[in-house]
Amino acid sequence: MIESARSEATKIEAGQPLIQISDLTKVFYTDEIETHALSGIHLSIAKGEYVAMSGPSGCGKSTLLSIIGLLDTPTAGRYSLNGKTVENLDFAERSRIRNQEIGFIFQSFNLIGDLTVYENVELPLTYRQRMPAADRKARVMEALERVGMAHRVRHYPSQLSGGQQQRVAVARALGGKPSILLADEPTGNLDSRNGEAVMELLQELHREGATICMVTHDPRFAKHAQREVHLFDGKVVAEEELKKLLAETSA
Amino acid sequence: MSGLVQDFRYALRQMRKSPGFTFVTVITLALGIGATTAVFSVVDQVLLHPLPYPDSDRIVKVAETFQGVSGTDASPANYLDWAAQNSVFAEMAASRGWPANLSEGDRPERVKGTMVTPSFFSLFGINPILGRGLAESDAHAGNDHVVVLGYGLWQRYFGGDRGTVGRNVRLNGEQYSVVGVMPPNYSPDDYGELWVPSPWGVPSHPLAPDKDPRQFRDRSYLDVWARLKPAVTPQQAGAELDTIGRRLEKQYPNEDDKIGVSFLPLHEYVVGDIRPVLLVLLAAVVVVLLIGCANVANLLLARAAVRGREISIRTTLGASRQRLLRQLLTESVVLALLGGGFGLLLAVVAVPSLLALSPPEIRQFKEIGINREVLAFSFLASIVCGIVFGLMPALQASRSNPSEFLKEGERGSTANRGRTRSVLVVAEVGLSLVLLVGAGLLVKSFARLMDVNPGFDADRLLTFNVGLPSSTNAAQQFAFYRDVMQRLQALPGVRSVGAVSRLPLAGGNSGRSFKVPGIDKDYSADIRVSTTDYFRTMGIPLMKGRNFSESDLGSSLNVAIVNDALAREVFPGQDPIGRQLTNFGPDNLTLQIVGVIGNVRHVGLDTAPHSEIYQLLGQAQWPSVFVAMRSATSDATSLTSMAQSAVWSVNKDVPLANIRTMQELIANSVQRRRFSMLLLAIFAGVAMVLAAIGLYGVMSYSVAQRTKEIGIRMALGARRPDVVALVVKQGMMLVLMGILAGTVLSLAMTRLIAGMLFGISATDPLTFAGVAVLLGAVAFFANYLPARRGASVDPMVALRYE
Ligand SMILES: Nc1ncnc2c1ncn2[C@@H]1O[C@H](COP(=O)(O)OP(=O)(O)O)[C@@H](O)[C@H]1O
Ligand SMILES: [Mg+2]
Repeated sequence: MIESARSEATKIEAGQPLIQISDLTKVFYTDEIETHALSGIHLSIAKGEYVAMSGPSGCGKSTLLSIIGLLDTPTAGRYSLNGKTVENLDFAERSRIRNQEIGFIFQSFNLIGDLTVYENVELPLTYRQRMPAADRKARVMEALERVGMAHRVRHYPSQLSGGQQQRVAVARALGGKPSILLADEPTGNLDSRNGEAVMELLQELHREGATICMVTHDPRFAKHAQREVHLFDGKVVAEEELKKLLAETSA
Repeated sequence: MSGLVQDFRYALRQMRKSPGFTFVTVITLALGIGATTAVFSVVDQVLLHPLPYPDSDRIVKVAETFQGVSGTDASPANYLDWAAQNSVFAEMAASRGWPANLSEGDRPERVKGTMVTPSFFSLFGINPILGRGLAESDAHAGNDHVVVLGYGLWQRYFGGDRGTVGRNVRLNGEQYSVVGVMPPNYSPDDYGELWVPSPWGVPSHPLAPDKDPRQFRDRSYLDVWARLKPAVTPQQAGAELDTIGRRLEKQYPNEDDKIGVSFLPLHEYVVGDIRPVLLVLLAAVVVVLLIGCANVANLLLARAAVRGREISIRTTLGASRQRLLRQLLTESVVLALLGGGFGLLLAVVAVPSLLALSPPEIRQFKEIGINREVLAFSFLASIVCGIVFGLMPALQASRSNPSEFLKEGERGSTANRGRTRSVLVVAEVGLSLVLLVGAGLLVKSFARLMDVNPGFDADRLLTFNVGLPSSTNAAQQFAFYRDVMQRLQALPGVRSVGAVSRLPLAGGNSGRSFKVPGIDKDYSADIRVSTTDYFRTMGIPLMKGRNFSESDLGSSLNVAIVNDALAREVFPGQDPIGRQLTNFGPDNLTLQIVGVIGNVRHVGLDTAPHSEIYQLLGQAQWPSVFVAMRSATSDATSLTSMAQSAVWSVNKDVPLANIRTMQELIANSVQRRRFSMLLLAIFAGVAMVLAAIGLYGVMSYSVAQRTKEIGIRMALGARRPDVVALVVKQGMMLVLMGILAGTVLSLAMTRLIAGMLFGISATDPLTFAGVAVLLGAVAFFANYLPARRGASVDPMVALRYE
């Protein structure tokens, strides 16, 4: 297990970033309107980094995250993940990469109500070809123990508090041993106490070596990250510039 | 009351608001109610209506029994004794089919007449619409050349001319005077084109028309009818007839050995074996209707989920549960009535096609159609449907907890609704499997039946019926047939020609008893009289000995050819050639067997061959014969007009009757089976399509509800095939449960159609398996489409937070 995780990691040559995005644009076409959600994004995230993305609502954070997570494709630009160009892969190939390289944590937890905690965490592993059941079980239990939910394996999501649900969701993201964890406002649905607990969990994971990219508009949580990327109107801007821009818009 | 009007108006508004839903519902119900109404209109006339005679339930068909088994006919002497000795019947009558050549000017036609006792019309209680019926005084020599016409013949042949009464017409070359015309649709059998009396009171024997039949006790050819006295119960009548039968058996130990007497209500005699067929079809079509109702209930359940909020608001505003139920049921009943209305229109269109497909046992009921009872039935059926499919959704909707809906929107009882819908789909699949199994068994039976070797080669054979009046003497008859055969044989395009007294699958049969020297046993066999070329023409193989030959005609030795069945029954392990059959028939002839031919399926493809004895036409005679002509070309019917001219050139008064190819005869002989098979197959097909639609609806609904879940799974790496598999697996679980339930149910139900099967067991595993596979495949498609839709969900929905 550890072995294979290491070999995955060794695929990245020294110095080469895990995520390399250049001149990325995303345009949504709806009826008569073109929405330029992203216009010319340059971003690289190194292995082991903890990046927070912030910016006002509608500036393109979720869009960027979904492209990083291969849920969506860019209109133009280049994106390589783990040294591999991924912007033009087909659906099946992207499914495979999502499954193996990406761990998602959603604002609304997105656990599946009909499945138990155990089955939810196991779910991404069931989409992997040729993974022995014993390995799967070991991974699921390891991930659940990591987030402190191993005692709730047989519970259904509806029997858990929001904070517990999000911890299960984190376990689900960890179970696949992804290259990167993507979190879109993971605390948005939690009260501050539970929110803090989840942020602490992410920080611990980061200390243990996980690469994390988290969207948040809460500056307190953004400070947990090593690096903050500010988005404004579909572009990455420097912090001072963002302040200036924000001041202009509010004026 | 005003509340109801309000509910009704609201129901109409709801229907207008969702035209797609209304359309699908109304179409489904129209199909179901329409088909049920059409089948019911047949059942109504055939099974539920009394026959068109006054107090028809008092009329019975009386017949001799042999060793306790009821036959269909009786001998004149027995009939006369029954009539004289009984005290339970108000009236008795006897009749026999009297096919006749009717000729007026230059248009000879062979008609199906009946020779009757004068009591015939008064027994049935029917009065002529013109002239008079038959009177006692007609049934005496010298007065007997009078005829009563059937309505159909009067219209067709005489153009409905009222002046026909009093005119003379030529029947079998003799003058008869028309004394009356009977109303339409009057006849207990299909020989109701005209009626004549017999000079001896009771109808004469067809093969001995010039002999006084009153002493014949061992020749049974009469159909006997009777009307029970008003106060007499069938049990009383049965007991008395039993006594009379036993008395006659003692009195005539030779002729009436093992002969008794029994009767059957006329209705049962007329309806016969078609009753179970109709009941099975009615049950099948009701199942189709139920499946349709289940589909509509499913749609309503889906809609109830959408309307939960509206209903919650009504409840919050103080609507009682009953009030809500009434409103929801009004809606479904209005829908059902609309469906029923269109269904009725469909039935009006469908009934003629249904009748065209149906066998003569059904078609004889000319009144079948949409009458007042059928209207009432479809109205009732609609209302019951409306309640059946509306009740469950209405109960569920009215039970829903208002706070749940108002606070939480979709969550809460959705899982439960899904379960109800799944149960409905399982039931639909199960029921359609039952119908499919039934249809499968019938189709397979039919295929087996069509594979049966009839014992002859049916291709390129044209057959028809010709007859000289039975009053012409034997020599004249033989000369006529011989001339006809020669002329037909000489026609271009004719390979060979033969004639026989009783053609296979053409209906009708005759039997004779006989003995074999040295064996103290009475045998009986079917009797045929044929020409020498008959076997060659039909392609019936000669297995042993020789064929008839011309020289047999001059010989005093009476020759016979027997079939393989007789050879095996009477001469097991011996050579029958040269053996004698003695005490043959009422004239106690002795026949010598010269040949053995192959068995022929005479009664029906599904009936094992009986023992048969063939005599040579010329040594024996018969009043009318079937001619079989084998054509050199594939279209045998092209010989028809040449054949007619050839017969006319011998005798211009003799028409060709019953002109059919042998293939048509075979098709006619399986008409009832084809009818039940086709109808059941159609119903099963519709049931399967409805079940598939139901499944499709449930799975589409489920996929729509699971959109978010599917998106999440995709975000976690599920590929499209994974999603398709997920949805299909869920649906196929339902299908599997339905198939299992349906199989269990089928095992119990197919016993009901065991009597309609041929060469296959009611639990034929291949049919069960084949049908399950077919249903599974169709269901898979119904699953696959929503699953495909599921697989096209954009994984982005996982990120969306509402
Ligand atoms: N599927 C879509 N179709 C059209 N426009 C979209 C779509 N998704 C996002 N947008 C638009 O793109 C912009 C960026 O949206 P998003 O990335 O969700 O912002 P954020 O997550 O920063 O609030 C917004 O203007 C939004 O309206
Ligand atoms: Mg967002």
